[in-house]
Amino acid sequence: MSLKNCYNFEDFRKLAKKNLPAPIFHYIDGGSDDEVTLKRNTESFSKYDLVPNILASVGEPDLSTTVLGTKIDMPLFLSPTAMQRLYHHDGDKASARAAEKYGTFYSMSTMATSSIEQIANVSGGPKMFQLYIHKDQALTDNLIDRCKSSGFKSLCLTVDTVVAGNRERDHRWGFTTPPKLTLKSLMSFITHPKWTFNYLTHEKFELANVSHFTKKGSSIAKGVMEYINEQYDPAMSWKDAEYCVKRWKGPFALKGVMSVEDAKRAIDIGASAIMLSNHGGRQLDGSRSPFDQLKTIVDAVGGKIEIIVDGGIRRGTHVLKALSLGATACSFGKGFLFALSAGGQKGVETILQRMKEELRRDMILLGKKKIEDLGEENIAIRN
Amino acid sequence: MSLKNCHNFSDFRKLAKRKLPSPIFHYIDGAADDEVTYARNTSAFDDVDLVPNVLRGVENVDLSTTIFGKKLDLPFYLAPTALQRLFHYDGERAVGKAAQKFNTMFGVSALATVSVEEISSMIDTPKMFQFYFHKDRGLNTSCLERAKAAKFDVMALTVDTITGGNRERDLRTGFTSPPKLTLASLFSFATKPMWGINYLTKGKFELPHIQDHLEAGTSTNTSIGNYFSTMLDQSMNWKDAEKLCAQWGGHFALKGVMSVEDAKRAVDIGCTGIMVSNHGGRQLDGSRSPFDQLAEIVDAVGDKLDVICEGGIHRGTHMLKALSLGAKACSGGRLYLYALAAAGQAGVERALGQYKAELERDMKLMGCTKISELSRKNLRFRG
Ligand SMILES: Cc1cc2nc3c(=O)[nH]c(=O)nc-3n(C[C@H](O)[C@H](O)[C@H](O)COP(=O)(O)O)c2cc1C
Ligand SMILES: Cc1cc2nc3c(=O)[nH]c(=O)nc-3n(C[C@H](O)[C@H](O)[C@H](O)COP(=O)(O)O)c2cc1C
Repeated sequence: MSLKNCYNFEDFRKLAKKNLPAPIFHYIDGGSDDEVTLKRNTESFSKYDLVPNILASVGEPDLSTTVLGTKIDMPLFLSPTAMQRLYHHDGDKASARAAEKYGTFYSMSTMATSSIEQIANVSGGPKMFQLYIHKDQALTDNLIDRCKSSGFKSLCLTVDTVVAGNRERDHRWGFTTPPKLTLKSLMSFITHPKWTFNYLTHEKFELANVSHFTKKGSSIAKGVMEYINEQYDPAMSWKDAEYCVKRWKGPFALKGVMSVEDAKRAIDIGASAIMLSNHGGRQLDGSRSPFDQLKTIVDAVGGKIEIIVDGGIRRGTHVLKALSLGATACSFGKGFLFALSAGGQKGVETILQRMKEELRRDMILLGKKKIEDLGEENIAIRN
Repeated sequence: MSLKNCHNFSDFRKLAKRKLPSPIFHYIDGAADDEVTYARNTSAFDDVDLVPNVLRGVENVDLSTTIFGKKLDLPFYLAPTALQRLFHYDGERAVGKAAQKFNTMFGVSALATVSVEEISSMIDTPKMFQFYFHKDRGLNTSCLERAKAAKFDVMALTVDTITGGNRERDLRTGFTSPPKLTLASLFSFATKPMWGINYLTKGKFELPHIQDHLEAGTSTNTSIGNYFSTMLDQSMNWKDAEKLCAQWGGHFALKGVMSVEDAKRAVDIGCTGIMVSNHGGRQLDGSRSPFDQLAEIVDAVGDKLDVICEGGIHRGTHMLKALSLGAKACSGGRLYLYALAAAGQAGVERALGQYKAELERDMKLMGCTKISELSRKNLRFRG
C-alpha cells in the first residue's frame, strides 16, 4: 500500500497504522471512555440526506469561502493538532506547506513541535494559532503577541480542554511524549524501524512554543494528559476569553462551544466565530456531535457569528451537509493527520487534493456554483 | 492482566471472568431470558447527548449529594447484591470498607453472607438494608428488628422479585449457592484453584439473615431461583408495604418501581425514596430500562421523594445523564461486583476511585462544579 493508492480517509488511516508505532497511532485514532462520541461524530452525517438540483448549468464551481477574515480556496481547513513531529519527522512544516499550496488554513496548536516563528518562515499561506490558557498568564500573553508579530491571521481559544479527557488507549499503550518505552510499546517501536530512525535522527522533539516557559516543555517525560492537567487553567472563565479577544484585536474563534447559551455569549464578548466541536471525541464522551447540534446553533446565532464545524468529517459530502445547514466552513484533524503520517507533506497534499476533488464533484452533482448557494433546501433529515 | 491494568468496567469484568469459576461469573454477568433488557439498560444512555457549557471556572468540583437525609461524597452508591462471599472471600466486608472509604452508601442484601451486626460494627458510614418479603412473618420481623438494632439508615423493600427471574445461564452452568458440582462446573472450579482454596479456607459460607428460618428440610444448599419461588410471599401487596414502612419508622424505599402510578403510590404510603430499577435486567426481560423511564418518574414524583436511577451504569457520563434528568443519585451492582471478584477490597476501591475521577473530570468538561447545577438543559435527545 502506498500514497497513490490512498483514495479516502480509511486508506490513509491504514497506511498510517502501518507506518506508526502503535502508541502513536492510537493517540491519534483514539477517543475518550467508550468512544461513543468519537463514533457518533461521523455517523451523525448519515442522518441527513442531500437533495440535488438538476440542470443548473454549474460549469466550474467556485469552492472559495471567507472565514475569520480570510478568503480560503476551499471550505475545509486543517484543525490545530498537537505534536505533529511525532506523526512525521517534518511535522507542522509539512502541514503548513501543504495547506499553503491548497490555499487554506493551517492551524498551529499551542502544543506544536515547531515554533510560531519557524512556521511563519516556511509558509506564507493563511495561518491560525490555537491557544490554551495556561496558569502562567505571561505565557498566554507571550503567545498572543508572537502570533501577531509573525503574521498569523487569526486566533482560536480552545475551551473544551480544562481537564484532559480519559483516553484509555493511551493508558494501555503507555503513550507519553517523548514516547516512554514499556515492553509492549518497545515491540511496536522495534517493528517500525523507519519511524524510529527518523524520529531519532531529525531535530529534537520539543514543544517549541512553550519550552522556554515550562522547564518541562522541552522534554516532558510525562504524558500530555499530565501536562494539560498541570499547565492549563481550569479556572478559565469568560473574562479570560474576553481578555484574549481584546489583546489579539483580530479575527477570533472559541473552539469547543456546544450550547446555545455559550454561542450567544461568544457574540457578546466579540468573538468572530465559534468552532462547534467536541475535540474529535477526545474529551467528554457521551457529548453531542457537532453536526447533530448544528441546526440548533444556526437557528439561534446564524448570521451573527461564523460557525465552523469540526469532528468526524471524512468526505466532501460531510462538508457540504454542514454548509447546507448553515456552517461557514469545516475543519478536520484525524483526516489530515493520518495523511501526514502516511506521507509527510506529500501525504497532506494528497488528502487535500482528494477532498478538493470530492467537493468539486459533489457541488456539480448538487447543481451548485458557489458555496453561498448551498442552503437548507439541499438537505433533508431522515426519520 | 492485573488490577493495575483495569481502567474501566469491561477491564474489571474481564479480570473477574478469569478469576471466578464460570457458574459464579455467569451468575453475576447474566440476566433474564434473552438479556434484551440487560443490554438496553446500558445502551439507553447512548440515545441522549450531553451538551457542555464552557468558560465556567471549574477548578473545584463538589460531587456530594444528599439522599434519605444522608450526605454522601459521591452521587452514587453500591446497590445491595446477594452472596458476595461467593465472589470474593471477603465479600461484604470488602465492599463495606470500600464504601466507607469513599463515604457513600452501602446496600446490604437480605441474602448477604455477612451479618448486619458485623457490618455495623465495622463501618459507620450510611447503610441500607435490602428486604425481601418472606412468607415466614417471623423471619420478616427478625430481619427488620436486626437491621434497626444495627442502626441501618435506610430500608429498601425489593418489589420486582416476587418470583425468580429466568436466568438461563444459571440453568446451563448449574449455579446454586453454595455451588453444586455438576460435571461442567466441576471442570470450571478445578481450573480456578485459588477461588476454591479461598472459598474452602476463609470461613464458612453462611446466609446469616435467613438461615435460622429455613423451613425444615431445606438447607442453605438451595438454588437462588428456588429461594425466590418457595420462600418469598407472592401475595405481597401495597398494604404489606405500608405496614412495613410504618414498622420500620425511618427512611423507607421501594426498590424496583417502574410505573408512574406505582411511584405515586409509593409517595402515598410514606416512602422517602424509590429505586427506578429492573434488577439489572435479571427479572422481567423486555421491561423498560430505568434511564428510559426516568424522566416520567421524576416529573411525577421528583419533588416528593428521592428518585434513584439504578442499572446499566458503566461510566461517570452515564451518571451525569441520569442526574441531569433529575435523579437524586445513581446506584449499581455490577459496577462494583466485578471489581470485588477481581481483587476484593482493593478492587472495589480502585473501581470507586475511577468512577470518582471520571465524575470529576466529566463535571469539569460539562462546566459544572456542583451536582445541583446539572439540569435537562445539559441534554439533547437524539431525533
Ligand atoms: C492527535 C490530535 C491532536 C489534537 N490536538 C489538539 C490541540 O492541541 N488543540 C486543539 O484545540 N485541538 C486538538 N485536537 C482536536 C482537533 O483540533 C479537532 O477538534 C478534531 O481533530 C476534529 O475531529 P476529527 O479528528 O474527527 O476531524 C487534536 C486532535 C487530534 C486527533
Ligand atoms: C449478582 C447480583 C446479585 C443481586 N442481588 C440482589 C439482591 O439480593 N437483592 C436485590 O434487591 N437486588 C439484587 N441485585 C440487583 C441490584 O441491587 C441492582 O438492582 C442491579 O445490580 C442493578 O443493575 P447493574 O448491575 O447493571 O448495576 C443483584 C444484582 C446482581 C448483579
